[in-house]
Amino acid sequence: MSNEVESAQVSDAMEVAQLSSLAAVDSHAGSCEAEMPSRLLNDAVRSLPYHVVKDLLSIGVCSRCVLRILGTEDHIYCHSSFSQSMLCSVLEEVTGFKSEGDFQFCSVCLGVLQLSYRDDKETLVKMESPNDMALVIAELVKKEGHQIDGFSLEVSIPQFILENESSLLSGMKKRYESEPWLQERLLSKCVSVKDVLKFAITKPLETLLNTKASASSFRIRLAYTHKMAFGNSVERNQGFKRRKIGTENGLQNVNDESVVANKDCSDYPTNETIAVTGRSSLKVPIDKVSEPCHLVYLCYRTHIYLCGRYLKYSRNVSQTRWIIDEERMGEASVEEIIGSNILPMYRGDNYKFHAAGREDIDVRMLGSGRPFLLEIQNARQVPSEETVKEIESKINGLENKLVGVKNLQVVGSQGWTLMREGEAEKQKQYCALVWISRPLEDEDVCSISLLNDMQILQKTPIRVLHRRSPLERKKIIHWMKIERIAESSQYFLLHLCTQAGTYIKEFVHGDFGRTQPSIGSILGCRAEILQLDVTDVKMDSF
Amino acid sequence: MSDVMVDHTQKLEETAVPNNLEQQDKQDEEQPQQSVQENAEYEDEELHKLLVPDITQLPLIPPSAVEFNFASYFAPDFMKPGNDQYVYRHANGLCVVGLASTHLAFNDKGGITAVDFNVGKSDRSGMKVTGKRKKNAQHFESNTALCKVCTNGDSYIVRCCVKGSLLEVNERLIKQPELLHSSADREGYIAIIMPKPADWLKVKASLLSLEDFKKLRALC
Repeated sequence: MSNEVESAQVSDAMEVAQLSSLAAVDSHAGSCEAEMPSRLLNDAVRSLPYHVVKDLLSIGVCSRCVLRILGTEDHIYCHSSFSQSMLCSVLEEVTGFKSEGDFQFCSVCLGVLQLSYRDDKETLVKMESPNDMALVIAELVKKEGHQIDGFSLEVSIPQFILENESSLLSGMKKRYESEPWLQERLLSKCVSVKDVLKFAITKPLETLLNTKASASSFRIRLAYTHKMAFGNSVERNQGFKRRKIGTENGLQNVNDESVVANKDCSDYPTNETIAVTGRSSLKVPIDKVSEPCHLVYLCYRTHIYLCGRYLKYSRNVSQTRWIIDEERMGEASVEEIIGSNILPMYRGDNYKFHAAGREDIDVRMLGSGRPFLLEIQNARQVPSEETVKEIESKINGLENKLVGVKNLQVVGSQGWTLMREGEAEKQKQYCALVWISRPLEDEDVCSISLLNDMQILQKTPIRVLHRRSPLERKKIIHWMKIERIAESSQYFLLHLCTQAGTYIKEFVHGDFGRTQPSIGSILGCRAEILQLDVTDVKMDSF
Repeated sequence: MSDVMVDHTQKLEETAVPNNLEQQDKQDEEQPQQSVQENAEYEDEELHKLLVPDITQLPLIPPSAVEFNFASYFAPDFMKPGNDQYVYRHANGLCVVGLASTHLAFNDKGGITAVDFNVGKSDRSGMKVTGKRKKNAQHFESNTALCKVCTNGDSYIVRCCVKGSLLEVNERLIKQPELLHSSADREGYIAIIMPKPADWLKVKASLLSLEDFKKLRALC
């Protein structure tokens, strides 16, 4: 349903009445619009203190700001059928103000509520109705290919606008302090520029997008900035995440350095000057605003998290993408297998893989699997629970059977804490294929099984010493069990459960005696490890 | 062996539950807990099958961790006749240095009695290297002395053989010099050195491979 109203310049008080004969423009109006929107507007305008309206208009305040500052309820003047020019004319007509010269950007809202701005191509845009802005947004959402069932609208404006406003308000309070309307209209906080704009755009947007505004992971953001915004630390620290509209490469952070500190404090007039008439005159920081704000339309979905446990059946697959000198190590990575199968279902820009610990490329991850978290950035659609289960089956059904997934499900942002929680305390269970330099005796099997919560001291293994601190770490071997292998006297399976962070390979072969004790030292012979498998990563919350 | 793994995997993921239910269709409703337990046991069985190796594929004597992860080099008669040392280099560039089995010290009657790291300008066993960047590591030349190995009648200076940062010395040798006899090539290592890539390439040219060293010393 589109906006059908386009009113011409109203030059005559009679035509104000004509507006009330307009057909009901929208039925998606708010609950309080029982009467014709134009009549409400009419009444509201007539109830304003005319001299104040004139004063404000004469210092370049736009019509919406005038209505806003004087306490008019926003649904009255935010109607999507009311164009810029129409509102302006209504005010001027009723109050007898004649504006001179050309269109000026509002000295308070810098054009934001006049629906004027410079777009990302530096073109000056002046929209007539909030509907038009809603249209631009809807186009963007469509272009980005988002499938949504709700949206959250955010507006950010330069701090400068708020400063303008408070400066003006304090001036008004001084100038009109004895007047009766002041109490009622001014002393209660006026609706903010942000809220007015949001209110004006939300309803048409709901219609165009065919969904409701709510707390949603899909965000629509209107980011206004202005060159003249002085270098307030608040402004600069707002740190907008900028994304160019329609960029395929995913998210880019561009710091807007054109929002610069041109601190020109001396030009910041106060409202203390006494005018000729003896009353303090109204002033705003910038008399003639020559440039409107710069506006960037953004729409994106916040991160979606999927959690689960993965299994690694191959001894030639690394956990994460591992590339040295442009050559891949191993034939694939868990991260890529899982990520590349899930990302397309969400039509996201990118994914990030996080796991609770990791295993070497030549170590299999079996049993219960290792907890992982997959972060999907800027998903264009959110598949159903069933689809997620299908994705799990798909990955488990892949022909090369390198990786498996369990318990795949969507999780909120608490998934992050769940995974990190107690990671260092978690116990891990392993199965190692061990060879010793002499035949295995029953005594050995027995003595190994008796060792419970044995403390070992591990110097940083030589294989990681080049990138880790040389430290001596105390670790605990909770229990061990030897399983004999039929037909072999020197090979056996060693099942063991250890504290997180224990280097198992070094515990078996001793690492030049730098891990004490080791299987070799306990059994009094040379021990070598041929294969290692992780059989359990104990974590309750996953 | 990997083929065996693939088959078992399929069973594990796809048929774990259905198989179980088939076996117990009558008892199922009456004892749901049992089927859960049996399911878990079944999974354990499947896991176990994956863990047990095929013994026929395993070598009688597997390569040692050192053989597998390090490249062995030798410096015969380093700075002095009879001073045979080894340099085991890991793929990450770190070098473990020690006495080769043909070192003269092993010929002395009574064997090795003591190892002293207090040589040169400082006691090598006293240094503390910290952090990922290996702060405080001393930079040594290849002929810098690491320690003195003493026997009943003689003493031998062991040197770095590789120019680089000294990361660690084997302090256990102080209390247990006999480690040099039992396993000079493992628990009896002397020190760990980190050379710069360029320095390694220079010294590599003067070292012998295991094969060439064996030939030189006429070892079998």
